[in-house]
Amino acid sequence: MTDLLLENENARKLIKTLGLPIPVPEKLARARGPYEERPLDDKTVLVCGTGSLHGVLAQILTKAGANPWVIGASDAVLEPYIGPGEAWARTPRRVEPGDAPEGERVDAIVFDGTGLESPSDLRQLYDFMHPWIRRINRSGRVVVIGRPAADAKKPARAATRAGLEGFTRSLAKEVGANGTTANSVFVEEGAEARLGPVLRFLLSPRSAFISCQPFHVTNVAKGEDAPETHVLGGKVALVTGAARGIGEATAELLAAEGAHVVCLDRPADDGPCSKVAQRIGGSVLLVDITDTDAPMRISKELKERFGGVDVVVHNAGVTRDKTLGRMQPDAWDMAVDINLGAVIRITDRLLEDAVLRPGGRIICLSSVSGIAGNRGQTNYSASKAGVVGFVEALASKVAKHGITVNAIAPGFIETRLTNAMPVAIREVARRMSAVGQGGKPEDVGQAITFLATPGSVGVTGETVRVCGGALVGA
Amino acid sequence: MAKKKNGWGKKQRAVIVSGVRTPFVKAFGKFLKLDSIDLADIAVKSLLERTDLSHDEIDSIVWGGVILPSLAPNIAREVALDLRLPASVEGMTCTRACASGLQAVTLAAAAIERGEADVVIAGGSDSTSNAPLNLPQKVVHALAPLAFGKAATPADYLGVLSQMMPITEILPKMPKIAERTTGEVMGESAESMARRNEISRAAQDHFAERSHHRAAAAIASGRFDEEVTPVEAPGGWVYADNIVRGDTTFEKLSKLRPVFAKDGTVTAGNASPLTDGAAAVLLMSEEKARALGYKPLAAFRSWAYVGVDPADQLLIGPAIAIPKALDRAGMTLEDMSFVDMHEAFAAQVLSVTKALASKGFAEMRLGKSEAVGEIEEDTFNIYGGSLSIGHPFGATGARMVTTMANELARTGKETALIGICAAGGLGAAAVLEAVH
Repeated sequence: MTDLLLENENARKLIKTLGLPIPVPEKLARARGPYEERPLDDKTVLVCGTGSLHGVLAQILTKAGANPWVIGASDAVLEPYIGPGEAWARTPRRVEPGDAPEGERVDAIVFDGTGLESPSDLRQLYDFMHPWIRRINRSGRVVVIGRPAADAKKPARAATRAGLEGFTRSLAKEVGANGTTANSVFVEEGAEARLGPVLRFLLSPRSAFISCQPFHVTNVAKGEDAPETHVLGGKVALVTGAARGIGEATAELLAAEGAHVVCLDRPADDGPCSKVAQRIGGSVLLVDITDTDAPMRISKELKERFGGVDVVVHNAGVTRDKTLGRMQPDAWDMAVDINLGAVIRITDRLLEDAVLRPGGRIICLSSVSGIAGNRGQTNYSASKAGVVGFVEALASKVAKHGITVNAIAPGFIETRLTNAMPVAIREVARRMSAVGQGGKPEDVGQAITFLATPGSVGVTGETVRVCGGALVGA
Repeated sequence: MAKKKNGWGKKQRAVIVSGVRTPFVKAFGKFLKLDSIDLADIAVKSLLERTDLSHDEIDSIVWGGVILPSLAPNIAREVALDLRLPASVEGMTCTRACASGLQAVTLAAAAIERGEADVVIAGGSDSTSNAPLNLPQKVVHALAPLAFGKAATPADYLGVLSQMMPITEILPKMPKIAERTTGEVMGESAESMARRNEISRAAQDHFAERSHHRAAAAIASGRFDEEVTPVEAPGGWVYADNIVRGDTTFEKLSKLRPVFAKDGTVTAGNASPLTDGAAAVLLMSEEKARALGYKPLAAFRSWAYVGVDPADQLLIGPAIAIPKALDRAGMTLEDMSFVDMHEAFAAQVLSVTKALASKGFAEMRLGKSEAVGEIEEDTFNIYGGSLSIGHPFGATGARMVTTMANELARTGKETALIGICAAGGLGAAAVLEAVH
């Protein structure tokens, strides 16, 4: 069933006209077409904070097409923005601290919190953002940047850094009503050069359904300069479960970035899988991933037909829901084997055979159920939490080859599965997210595509929730 | 034919021997009855007369144009046939928006340098007055079955009529200089560049005033006499450019209303006008020129053509092309005796000069540690430019080459830089050097 509050204009108007106490969700702005040179073209981005990243931010934002407004008491704050502003004709504008001028609005706020030392410094968050937080345009963005708490030598400093995450998570719930998301980014010292692609993604409509999410940007995985457009040109990508839903949306997005997509699904799904492959100019690989010889066959096919693979998306998955007391053993086995066992077996084989090339990307599908738990999904949650542990552990092992390993944890996404839910539960699940609605398969696909790009090299071992900042989920 | 051809692939230097143009005239005015080919005929004919060149020596004509006559788009060949040049004088016509004239000239230079030809006439022309008004595709498609199909019944006519509503969709559209990909009219692009580069209305009007004053002074002093030919148009003789306003002032320009945005800064006074005109340049191999007794005016040291995203800053191209051409010439902006930049809009010229003077631009866009440089006012567009002289799209590049080549020969100075912006986000630049 479609979301009435989102898709039905009459319903939306009626509720607004009658002033019913039903919050009408904002239609999220979404990206159209492949990665562009200027994802933030002509957007106004308010930059604030006393950190050391303003030079980096100035370059990232102006090159991406944004007009930087900088909060500060004197023109000295504009200094890092002058040169980049001239290069891309994005002249910075200084904004006085304190009240926002009447009628002025911004599209995004970026807070540089890398300079925060003690808990009292957290007050900056309030001081800079309080006047502007209700002046963010629809489908706006808030990004709070800090240093990783774990890297701090003093406990007080670690506490301060950790505070940024809590602030952002709560803020996300407050700004979601107009489609705005809030996320935090923790940049390791020396990994600043890897911030660009992450910010371009988080500030753009490509991250429409990601909110409340912390990102860590590190130097763990090796990597080189990354393209900004046609980001997967010349790459080979394997997508399991590509016949429909999230897999299909992902295959389309990867292909749009120039990847040759190998669409994998069960032999029974030959029809829909071939249709997808044909539409995007990809190839078909029909394998049941639970077969004993599946890892060997996939590895061999990828090696022989494509010379290897650069991106592996483990999307295939099943639910076999029952409370533990009522669950049959085969339901347990099936969910855990497809969702976790096969993922590990195939990954291991591709790494062993060196079929996954250096600079490769592994993206596994987890779930917010695996993080937060869900009644009737003990088997499913075990497998999906297992995925989180898997990517964390594997990431450091393959980093020296420039390979990153991440998981995506979708929240409520409008698919076949969720359409089959009872109406009441579905309606509650939709409205629980900070943006008051369910996501679309393409939202998950966009997150996967980002993690597949060379530019995402700073992000590894992470689990990225695509849940619109849902109530459930850490 | 007594001509002895050079061998294919022989390396030789191409030199500019002479150049001439028609007066540049406001569109829908005195040249109304002369189309792009007529204007080209006049310029080439005058060039041949002034140089007293034997027609047998000519290898080819390369012509640039933007609004090409749809029934005879290869203007170059039409000129050769109209002027009854030997049938062997082959011709090609190129288009690179407002850089078409320069494109034609550099194509000619390249052909000579490769030993493909020894004597080439290059140039460009445009007649905005004769831009065809196209029927919308909708009308063409609706009428085609009646015009080209089987015998039509009254019902068919009715059917066609019903496809023609609403009436506004079938009226011929006025041509406008709009980007195909973005739909943005060029004046709007200039407006956005002015805003983004913080080019004030006053700065634009001051620049326009200077352009008019300098062009007027050049005309009054007779400086253009050697490169402008009088034209006998159907309504009478035209002797000089008629767009330039020597008596304009900053105050007068300041009173004009912005055209492209309500609170904008681009006006009819600081934008180049729609213009009719043609310009032709004679190029030869240096050996051939000397053998025929001509004194070369100048030669090309380098050129560069670049593209930028038209959805970003449409007309910033010269800021990328100029350093590229300078690098290829092994020279710096400081080395240039003269700089001649096409003035599509004052806002565009000032945006480009601002970018060239910016260290940040050099670092991030050009990978250089220092700014390209500042252009000194007394060497920059010394005889005005497209704002005051006018801008027949295809002719402008050839006009600039002629004026700069003459200036090098006249003053004994060494180098001149040419910069042109063009629709589609294109940029062009060339470095001319003196020939001793």
